Amino acid sequence: MEFFEGNRKGRRRDAAIAGALLLVALFLFLLPGAYQQPVRQVVRSTVLQPFLLVQGTVVERRVRSVDVREIIAQRDSLAVLVMAQATLAEENRRLRALLGLGNRMQAEFVTADLIRVRSPGAESTFLLPVGSEHGVCEGSPVIGDLGLVGVIWEVADRTAMGIDWTHPYFRASAMTATGDVYGIVEARRGEFREEDVMVFRDAPFHSDVQPGTRIQTSGRGAYHPRGIPLGTVVGIEEADTGWRKSYLVRPAMRPEAATHVYVVRCGDAQSPGDLSQLWQAAPQSDPTDTLTARRALEDQTSDAGTQ
Amino acid sequence: MAPVSWRLWAFLLVLVVAYFTLTLALGLGRAAPDLLAVAVLLAARRLPGAGAAAVGFVLGIMRDALSLTAFGASTVALTLVAFLAAKSRELFIGDSLLFIAAYLFVGKWLYDAVFFLLARHEFRESALAFLLIQAPLAAAYAAVTGAVALIFYRMIAADL
Repeated sequence: MEFFEGNRKGRRRDAAIAGALLLVALFLFLLPGAYQQPVRQVVRSTVLQPFLLVQGTVVERRVRSVDVREIIAQRDSLAVLVMAQATLAEENRRLRALLGLGNRMQAEFVTADLIRVRSPGAESTFLLPVGSEHGVCEGSPVIGDLGLVGVIWEVADRTAMGIDWTHPYFRASAMTATGDVYGIVEARRGEFREEDVMVFRDAPFHSDVQPGTRIQTSGRGAYHPRGIPLGTVVGIEEADTGWRKSYLVRPAMRPEAATHVYVVRCGDAQSPGDLSQLWQAAPQSDPTDTLTARRALEDQTSDAGTQ
Repeated sequence: MAPVSWRLWAFLLVLVVAYFTLTLALGLGRAAPDLLAVAVLLAARRLPGAGAAAVGFVLGIMRDALSLTAFGASTVALTLVAFLAAKSRELFIGDSLLFIAAYLFVGKWLYDAVFFLLARHEFRESALAFLLIQAPLAAAYAAVTGAVALIFYRMIAADL
């Protein structure tokens, strides 16, 4: 009898402890994000730190193994661009000085290698080895060489965590490149990650955005600076009777392709700066562009020589 | 109930380290088997309900540390499944490899089902497609991997 009672008491205690743990787990699950953040950061910076360091090294090596021809092509294109714009920049500076205007506000970037988190429940999440010490803050946009990758959600001293545009919670205030139509861009998830596209929604019903129109951030809402490419319209998704239209958008930047990214530093994301100029004249990453770039560079050099 | 040997704890630790190495350090993600769930389920075969729930809780928190919008879902699911798995000893007894593989399959499927319910927004699949196609496949993958790991473990110890 004593054995039976003790056993039952033990069982009750066992169930009570397990129940308490389950309640704590539920409490953690229901906590607001701001209160969950310290727990996440403690675990990431202690037990998971060695694994994150290894992945950081793997990503760094992958970035280093980029085709040298591609880098030469980009460098050549940049050289052409810089030479072509040198006089323009000087002219602009002089004109602004004559008008008594200060320097144009420029966004500042921090570069980082993007670490993808592919564990269940974190499919559209990424880690960056830069944090508040580098000027990154919550809401800082993360940009790839072709367009917007995502946004920072959580910042520690030397690390940051963010979501890419395929995440169901991602939103960006957007407009057509000409500035005629404004709306909101969000992800429309496919059955597979590769099928994910963007949707440019809440456009006015009378708008007629043609396929091929470029969509970029509008700068409204003080989250993303104006002018970051989001994608290109491929067709209409739906027209809500007499109210608004939604357009399917082919993304400019696939998150899977992002390895080396630029993070807009804190405060600059809220500035009125327009980043569209960066992509209007951006160098192409296509290695076939090398020849064109080199010829242009050679032409300019020979012109300078003859003059 | 016999106390858990240090060999078993070491084996569970190896499973946990292997899981985070594959999914996080090497970036394999879902391509890697869920050795974390396997570790919890195997621990639950030798621990009392509260101990199993504690193991599930700790490993769940570790997994959730990488999740921004589903934090806590894994902790709840692993704690619940670990406790139920420990209690299942009162209903089912068996030590054969086939029995353990079936046990791992059911446990992992149950974990996925609970996790899916709690973190529905993280999934792109419909409930039916996930519960009847993806979760059983992931459970079979974990069960086979767990059984293979157990074969190796039984070569050095026979307490599991």
